Amino acid sequence: MPLEIRNLTKQYNKHKTGLSDYSITIERGILGLLGPNGAGKSTLMKIIATISKPTNGTLFLDGQDIVSNPDYIRKMLGYLPQDFGVYPNLNAYEFLAYVAALKGVGGAGLTKRIDMLLDGVNLTADAKRPIGSYSGGMKQRIGIAQALLNDPKVLIFDEPTVGLDPEERVRFRQLISDMATDCIIILSSHIVSDIETIADEVAVMQGGNLLQKGTKTDIIKLIDGRVFETLIDNSDLTALKARHLVIDTSRQKELTKVRYIIRDGIPEPSSAAINATLEDAYLFLTHNKA
Amino acid sequence: MKYIYSMVKADYLQRTRSYSFLITLAITIYAAYSFVPPPTASYTTLNVVGYKGIYNSAWVGHVSAMMTTIMLSLYGFFLVNSGIKKDIDTEVGLIIATTPISNFTYLLSKMLSNFQVLLTITGITFVMSIVMFFIRAGGAPFILTNFVLPYLFFSLPALLTISALAVAGEVFLGRRQILQYVLFFFLFGSIMANVVGHSANTLTTFIDPFGVNAMTNSVKDQVNTQYHEHIESVNLGFTFSAKNRFKTFVWDGIEWKGIFLLSRLVWVCFAFAIVYFSSFFFHRFDFRQPASKKKKQMTITGSSGAMVFAKGINITLLPPVITDYGIFPFIKTELLLLIRKGPKWFWLINGGAWISTLFAPLAVAHAYILPVLLFLQVTRFSDIATKETANRLHYFTWSSYKPLQRMLPSQMLAGVILALGLASPVMLRYAVSGDFYTVLNLVNGAVFIVLLAVAMGILSGGKKLFEISFFFVTYCIIEKLPVADYLGSMPHYSHTGYVFIISLLNLLFAAVSFGVRSYQVRHL
Repeated sequence: MPLEIRNLTKQYNKHKTGLSDYSITIERGILGLLGPNGAGKSTLMKIIATISKPTNGTLFLDGQDIVSNPDYIRKMLGYLPQDFGVYPNLNAYEFLAYVAALKGVGGAGLTKRIDMLLDGVNLTADAKRPIGSYSGGMKQRIGIAQALLNDPKVLIFDEPTVGLDPEERVRFRQLISDMATDCIIILSSHIVSDIETIADEVAVMQGGNLLQKGTKTDIIKLIDGRVFETLIDNSDLTALKARHLVIDTSRQKELTKVRYIIRDGIPEPSSAAINATLEDAYLFLTHNKA
Repeated sequence: MKYIYSMVKADYLQRTRSYSFLITLAITIYAAYSFVPPPTASYTTLNVVGYKGIYNSAWVGHVSAMMTTIMLSLYGFFLVNSGIKKDIDTEVGLIIATTPISNFTYLLSKMLSNFQVLLTITGITFVMSIVMFFIRAGGAPFILTNFVLPYLFFSLPALLTISALAVAGEVFLGRRQILQYVLFFFLFGSIMANVVGHSANTLTTFIDPFGVNAMTNSVKDQVNTQYHEHIESVNLGFTFSAKNRFKTFVWDGIEWKGIFLLSRLVWVCFAFAIVYFSSFFFHRFDFRQPASKKKKQMTITGSSGAMVFAKGINITLLPPVITDYGIFPFIKTELLLLIRKGPKWFWLINGGAWISTLFAPLAVAHAYILPVLLFLQVTRFSDIATKETANRLHYFTWSSYKPLQRMLPSQMLAGVILALGLASPVMLRYAVSGDFYTVLNLVNGAVFIVLLAVAMGILSGGKKLFEISFFFVTYCIIEKLPVADYLGSMPHYSHTGYVFIISLLNLLFAAVSFGVRSYQVRHL
């Protein structure tokens, strides 16, 4: 069930464009969206989640136009927005029952489903407390549980790991990896390592445009043989920045260890070639475009 | 202290850049227009029983200033009493708390920002009063001081006091908004009761923040002198009457006596003193929790903080999804949210008022207790259609399956169930006495107030517009103004006509709610 997005444009006003003639086909599996702030990731996710309507373009899921028929995707959608809110006076159980009603999920098995989801995100002990008293991480886990209530076939997670501690992040990654076999999962994050670990495909966005889409290997290949590391005098750093794209620096007394990508030309003397990462490729793509 | 201008300016801009403020301004313009009615109008804004002033600079300037002062003092409190709350909600308060700004300076900036908002509205009524003078006064000479001085001496001290009271309300009663509203309601009512219609003396001059006592006595004295009358009663506010033949008199304005001006100065000083006093009790965004709660939280952190996702979720083991697009779960949740809104102890007050409607004389229960009981739910009703955006849940609710057909009707129904539940003793008593016309009016009235809350919430995107309107409506009902009688407690010219008008308004509010929400859902 591919999700086909063709020539999508979202124009907020005369000066602000969220997405510009954006086309992508999303297949079953995990698609990681990478891009700086304002790249259009949240706009794209909101349009797919039917919250926002595009100015132009089409979105088809299973051949169904979800712009004109949003209820088609809504029945099979799990969505965790970046700016996730709750009703603070409800407890976790009541809140999930409410979201279940929103999604049209009911019947005899609902109570058990909610119990199991709460258990799965380890909130059973706190299920009777008002959500208003929860920590940020606990709220985020409630958000993850609600996204799974309706056995979704399309899952959209906008910055899902914000507020989760390292162990929670690992568990979350395992969870969505398990689900990816029979759903479309779209995930955005500023944490490149999260995307690198779990995404089957990566889409790099900037300024409302798609810069590159492919597997991690495909994207890393773009800078194969162009990433180097060297040790230079602190005073030479500015000059080096002018010639190459500096990815990382670490000071070692009077010297600085620099990781950089060559734009054109040749590497600095006494540089060593190193393996490129997705983060290197992402920075290269977004900085080259800028 | 030198940064206070920037703080006041930022706060003022933040508050005024909203649709609800624009709506307030539009209503203000209409109100200012209505302060100077045409001679054929079925109402007056100031009359001494049977006598009405000729429209000259003094009359138009003073009456406009006085009406602005009273009206704006009444709803201005509701309009501005969330300045600190906003800083709590947005968590800007946490940043403010870490800066060197003193409590007094912060609260002073809030008071001045409140005052600036009220002053903006006053400025509009001031301009409108001059416009209305040229429309209505029929060539009478224009004297600017007859407009400037009343606004200066009536409105400014009163509005500064209201601005300070709003700050004190937030400091001492924090988020207990409904309690602030109720206390202000009684404070305002008791001040008005002690100054309007009382003879002028030093005490009434000093306990009157609005200057209404000095003005009404001046007008009354003019009539008594000119017509050798001994009239004691003066009607101030929108007084509706079929009678439109009044004897006229010429009034040249108030004599600004030293003691009156001193009383204005005292009120200005009092406003600053309130803020200064409040600064000693300001929480500075440090919300300490009781020891028992702290202990509970510690335990919770210990039990669930470290071992998250311990078991994980095996999707294949979850029970199968059964589709159910009914609205009953929504109604249940909406009712839960309505009931849990506000402190629990407040239900004791609701319960007491509810029980009293069973035993109080039926006319009193219908005309006074029930409107007040319903008003006590103001924050619940105003929450019905605004809580999704306030809690940032509209991303889910508006993108759910058929939100307009399922969500919005559930919210309306839950509100109506609450309102009918509160009105049930009065309805039952009327039903027992066989008065089904009044039962119908009560049902219609319950629907009216809920739909008004929903429509205003959806239109303005906030709670204030409805809260202010509901306060006005309730105040007018207590003052026996038939135009505000949504519960049918006053006699009306035509039974059928009354039911028809309320039903028509209900339909209108419902149509507006569905229409605008439909647009919002499609244009998030």
